[in-house]
Amino acid sequence: MGEVRLPDEIRPVMENGIPAQVGTCSADGTPNATDISRVYYVDSEHLALSNQFFSKTIRNIRENPRACVNLNDLEAFTCWVVHLEFDRSETDGPIFDAMDMQIEAIASMTGMSNVFKLKAADIYRVTSVEKIEYGPAS
Amino acid sequence: MAKKQPTAEDLAAELDQKSAEIRILQRVSSAINATLDLEEIYGIVLGTMDEIFGFHHSLILLLDESGETLTVVASRGYEGQTLGGQVRVGTGLIGVVAKKRRLMRLSNLGSQRGYIAAIRKQMEEAGRSGELEEAAPVPGLPNVESQIGIPLLIKDNLIGVFSVESAEQKMFSDREETLVAIVANQAASAIHNARLYRAEEQRRQELAELNETLEDRVRARTAELERANRELRDMQTQLVQTEKMASLGMLVAGVAHEINTPIGAIAANTDLVRRATEIVRQRIEDKGSLAELAGDSRLRQAVETLRQASQTEQLACERVTSIVKSLRNFARLDESEEKLVDLHEGIESTLTLLRHELKKGVEVVKHYGDLPQVLCFPSQLNQVFMNLLNNAISATGGKGTITITTARDGDGVVLRFADTGGGISPQNLKRIFDPGFTTKGVGVGTGLGLSICYRIIQHHQGTIEVSSEVDKGTEFTLRLPIQPH
Repeated sequence: MGEVRLPDEIRPVMENGIPAQVGTCSADGTPNATDISRVYYVDSEHLALSNQFFSKTIRNIRENPRACVNLNDLEAFTCWVVHLEFDRSETDGPIFDAMDMQIEAIASMTGMSNVFKLKAADIYRVTSVEKIEYGPAS
Repeated sequence: MAKKQPTAEDLAAELDQKSAEIRILQRVSSAINATLDLEEIYGIVLGTMDEIFGFHHSLILLLDESGETLTVVASRGYEGQTLGGQVRVGTGLIGVVAKKRRLMRLSNLGSQRGYIAAIRKQMEEAGRSGELEEAAPVPGLPNVESQIGIPLLIKDNLIGVFSVESAEQKMFSDREETLVAIVANQAASAIHNARLYRAEEQRRQELAELNETLEDRVRARTAELERANRELRDMQTQLVQTEKMASLGMLVAGVAHEINTPIGAIAANTDLVRRATEIVRQRIEDKGSLAELAGDSRLRQAVETLRQASQTEQLACERVTSIVKSLRNFARLDESEEKLVDLHEGIESTLTLLRHELKKGVEVVKHYGDLPQVLCFPSQLNQVFMNLLNNAISATGGKGTITITTARDGDGVVLRFADTGGGISPQNLKRIFDPGFTTKGVGVGTGLGLSICYRIIQHHQGTIEVSSEVDKGTEFTLRLPIQPH
């Protein structure tokens, strides 16, 4: 299988700050979907999800390393569906620092400093990317 | 997924845009660096953001001395007062940018707020309100959607944060972030330089003011010290004069007696002379010839009486003259300037004035050496001699010996006044030159005599030392330069 690369046009969508949805599945096949505040661009083949307090998502990933993320572009009325496979967790380094900084800023300005704390930056390898048009134009 | 290839027109347009941006940045950079006025720098930076790049809301915040708070020093595009608004380091995008000292760009903050509000609600419903805090208010747009915060750094030291905000649901692009960062970096240097210049100017002004006031203060203080010094000198002069008059006062009785004796002799002779003269006159009248007068033994006796009376009166007059001369010599009231004098003369005059005290039973032994004339204030040194000799007489209780020894010693002279009195105890000896110290009892001594002697000798660049042994006696040693500098 050839390496899947993220298209350039997806990057602004990842950074637009609009919450994304992440779907995972436990070992016994029970699905789970939840909102996630940010998805971080790592490189053209990887992205990172913040490991904060989504204990069910994290538990599922430990059992079944596959996940799916919906990235919403409300201006273009599109949704990018990105399939992922868990690669590694980072608790320091530039990716962790960048994620931690943004979470700290948002948490402090919303009175959530005690709640929003980055435990780790979970790095995922992209296995497929699909763009779905769902707006009036579709 | 095929990526669209840019056309030549696209590339040309992009090139044009980048060239234009570089020109703008160059102009902005020149303008910022051409001034050292902080307000002007703020105006150029915020104006550039607004009018050239279309970022209508921007803030410049500077870090305070504590390093914990940022204060808005310039703003553009806000309704109401944002100047002076504060952000704690670590709070909000601006505070976190300051804390991490790294650029941060956030977008669609409204969505984030909505998302977070949902989580807050869930937590409140789950009874976890205790974990939530009140949102910290920060200066800027209340409905901010996108924001770039850039730390203002000078050699890794944070001086503030530059923030650009937008209420539109759009995201600042990489290009815009780069433009803002370049201007912010220029601004950091310019602000730093202007603050250094302002601080330097302030320091210079403070220094100038300090110098000005310092001169005034020094002048005032000098005048004050001069006045105090004058008063002190007057007081010292007065004190010396008082002590001198006290010494003279003590002498008056003795001196009066000394003068009274020869005056008494002259007075006694007056009757004798009158009677002898009468005899001579009568004998001359009674006798007819010189031969008869020559043989008149009564006449010869009268003439002899007159001769003796004349001799006595001459001695008496010499004695009075000597005493008066000694008094004048002692006081030397007409000599206020330094002059070369024979110190033996001063000692002798003092001894003459003290004769009445001495003759009760004090023997004065003199070992005078060959002294050169000494440049001094003679009346002051006479006062020292008087004080030391008076003390010596008191110490002997009127019976004993005072030995005065003088000698030349290199460029100076040494004068020693030793007595065979009761001596001074070691504890009193330590305080003997202290002003006010006396062992003579209340009303007898002022306690200033030796203190003044000390000062007089010091004034003559000399030294005064004392050695004493209880029941054996005391010796004062004066050392004086012949020619003080």
